[in-house]
Amino acid sequence: METAHKRPNYILIWVYLAVLTAAELALAFELPISRNLKLLLLLFLAIWKAALVGLFFMHLKFERWNLRIMAIIPLPLAVIFILAGMSEHIW
Amino acid sequence: MTHAAATVDQMRPPYPAERGLDVYNKKLGMWVFLASEVMFFAALIGTYVILRFGAPGEWARPGIVLNIKITAFNTFLLICSSVSMVKAYAAIQDGEPKKMRFWLLMTILGGATFVGIQVYEYIHLVEHGFVPSGVREGSELAELVAKGTLPAATMGLYGSTFFTMTGFHGFHVTCGVISMTYLYLTKALPGKYSQRDYGGIETVGLYWHFVDLVWIILFTIVYLI
Amino acid sequence: MTTVAATSHPAPAHHDDRSFLRKYVFSTDHKIIGIQFLFVSLFFLLVGGLLAMQMRWQLGFPGKPMPGGGVLPETMAPGGVILPEYYIQLLTMHGTFMVFFAIMPLLVGVYANFLIPLKIGTHDMAFPRINMWSFWSFFAAGVVMLSSLFVPDGAARAGWTMYAPLSARHDLSGASFGQELWSVSIILVGLSSILGSLNYITTVINNRAPGMTWFRLPLSVWSLFITAILGLLALPVLSGAAIMLLFDQIIGTHFFDPAAGGQALLWQHLFWFFGHPEVYILILPAMGMVSDIIANGSRKPIFGYHSMVFAIVAIAFLGWIVWGHHMFVSGMNPTLGSSFMVSTLVIAVPSAVKTFNWMGTMWRGNIKFTVPMLNAIAFVAMFVIGGLSGIFMAATPVDMQIHDTYFIVAHLHYVLFGGSLFALFAAIPYWYPKMFGRMMSERWGKVHFWLTFIFYNCTFFPMHITGMGGEMRRLYDPNQYTFLQPYQPIRVFISISAFLLFATQIIFFVNFWWSLKRGKPSGLNPWQDNGLEWTLPSPAPHGNWERVPTVYRGPYEFSSPQVPEDYLPQTRKLPSDREPAAASAARH
Repeated sequence: METAHKRPNYILIWVYLAVLTAAELALAFELPISRNLKLLLLLFLAIWKAALVGLFFMHLKFERWNLRIMAIIPLPLAVIFILAGMSEHIW
Repeated sequence: MTHAAATVDQMRPPYPAERGLDVYNKKLGMWVFLASEVMFFAALIGTYVILRFGAPGEWARPGIVLNIKITAFNTFLLICSSVSMVKAYAAIQDGEPKKMRFWLLMTILGGATFVGIQVYEYIHLVEHGFVPSGVREGSELAELVAKGTLPAATMGLYGSTFFTMTGFHGFHVTCGVISMTYLYLTKALPGKYSQRDYGGIETVGLYWHFVDLVWIILFTIVYLI
Repeated sequence: MTTVAATSHPAPAHHDDRSFLRKYVFSTDHKIIGIQFLFVSLFFLLVGGLLAMQMRWQLGFPGKPMPGGGVLPETMAPGGVILPEYYIQLLTMHGTFMVFFAIMPLLVGVYANFLIPLKIGTHDMAFPRINMWSFWSFFAAGVVMLSSLFVPDGAARAGWTMYAPLSARHDLSGASFGQELWSVSIILVGLSSILGSLNYITTVINNRAPGMTWFRLPLSVWSLFITAILGLLALPVLSGAAIMLLFDQIIGTHFFDPAAGGQALLWQHLFWFFGHPEVYILILPAMGMVSDIIANGSRKPIFGYHSMVFAIVAIAFLGWIVWGHHMFVSGMNPTLGSSFMVSTLVIAVPSAVKTFNWMGTMWRGNIKFTVPMLNAIAFVAMFVIGGLSGIFMAATPVDMQIHDTYFIVAHLHYVLFGGSLFALFAAIPYWYPKMFGRMMSERWGKVHFWLTFIFYNCTFFPMHITGMGGEMRRLYDPNQYTFLQPYQPIRVFISISAFLLFATQIIFFVNFWWSLKRGKPSGLNPWQDNGLEWTLPSPAPHGNWERVPTVYRGPYEFSSPQVPEDYLPQTRKLPSDREPAAASAARH
């Protein structure tokens, strides 16, 4: 039984995702900005899109807080691993 | 378990029981499984990031080896199939099994097309000389390496990481398509889902959105950067 | 909801008309699956032991033909004399079998499966069929790993840690197919573990009986639950790493190939990112079960129950950020190394908390020195020794000296054998009655315990000394170094102790098998314990309870002033007890 909540507008989210994807493509190939800035912005856009899918399509926004925590727990672990591996190349 | 089933309403947490996370077992199980999948892709994607960050030379610039246009379309297609999946879920929530069947079928077709396009891409890449071990000798891409358009030092890593990440993602999409087809044929078509009992749709939907989510990340960091 | 008082008639086993195959082979019953894991894992424990015996023969009696060595192929041991190429297979496969196919499945595969539904008060796991797949994928993994011993070029041989590029390059290691089979088997083990974990986690979260709140769970269940979370998140990383290794081996990728830009250290980071949580997977369930047994054997509540729970959580949490302490000498970034030193020293604290709590539990208790209790107390003592040697290693400068020596071998065997295996020697006879309806022989259990304890310490304690003296591990012939030659008498002493240790285990195995049919019938609650499982018949029936029981208190109410007996079961309702808050259905 779903906890009562207003159903998100799935089509609107779809539009957001399409717009963000187009933005990514423009950013990657058209805009003359520095490489590092491009990298940061692209990552930001990708994470935003992923968050939209997670929060609205997977309904995480409307689940209990502890289910949200459970879904998110692997992420800091992944980040720790990646940063540690990358740190091998900065010393 | 017959007597266990007698006390379990499909869309409610088990009863009688202490309060858990307020979701039925199948859904909780799928979230738990997805947590493990995040770690699996973290290992593959993390490897890519670490190898690329520490690479002994320049990485190939985006768009030279891989076809951005087709993959952008494929990305859009997968996102659309995620929308059709959630519309199927909304439909059965509203008690409209016919609509749910339509959208589920659209999702299956979208997913299958995605896989088909990926396979076509792989064949195309291999024909041009891009393989998991890097660039095949004497191929078209080998000439680009010789010319200096592609960096010789990192093509081996590029091939290894590209095929492993996208290959396992494709494998997960395929498993999703197979699962949805199985549910479509054995549960959706015979009308076994209803407004009171659609847990299978929600559960497979979670998996499908996850697969889409991973692709959103992969598309950006593999194809666009 | 019916209450099931400890002294009432047990719920009748309902009519069970499954075929033999469905009941005992392709079973979805968590108890049968647990027993299947038990039989198969005990077999692999034997395999691991036999591999170690061969290693000890070479170290104690180098160059001499091994008794029975004639059966080995000429390429491995001509005339029964072990070759270096064979020696490194022995040590690799000993570690692999012991970690993945003996200790991990014995602790988790057996006891998570068997105990969780019984101890939380539900009929079975949340996903019984996935549970069955978890066992059979483990079985398949075992068959694949076993078969790797018999392929023409021999088994994997880069150590159980399988460091690349040695493991990835057949031209360097000399192994080919055997190495690949290792990777495939590990991928299957990962799958089995992940499927199991998802079952255990879902079941503990969602299927606890009314009244079984989080802080009324026995510590065995807490530890198995937290272990399942560790396994869920760590095994996929190993699977990913094994897949990449397999690809390097067979399709020419370059993940770990420095010549093509790959990174050898990447393998180590991936492996140990899994590997460190893995060792907590190998100890936490042992700690949990020992807690239950010590409280029962002392007839006292566990000292500091809440801090025990927080300690388990803290160990699991911190366990993710200590993995680099396995890599101090690898050439890793030294700043990163320092951070690992700090986190490793910190993680000793929650384990110490647990040790003091066990001692606090036993203090002034009415201790019954049964076989489970003896083994549990030995666990505490041996684990402390293993933990103390760990502190040495946590300090990076010290580890520079002792890494890859026998000091490390001593440490890991003190925590894995002195720790995990002694805990299993406690748990197996303890829950044996609930599995099989009979008791193991108490007398032979005591003989086994004392002989094992003596020979075990004779085998592994001297390794601290030789390790400090510089004896390297994974070394076929220590005597090639003059500074190690004086230790040969110690090596002989260790080897003979090891042979006696192995022989002593025959007592355990015979006791186990013999008692299946001839052990004393146990009755419902031979240990006078409070857990839910002891209210059921022995062996527990299919489906466990007709109706889910109600829980009124925690599991450690021993010597309670409320009742004349020295134990008070969780499900026994006293006049002063209230029914638990309305169960979950009322919330919807």
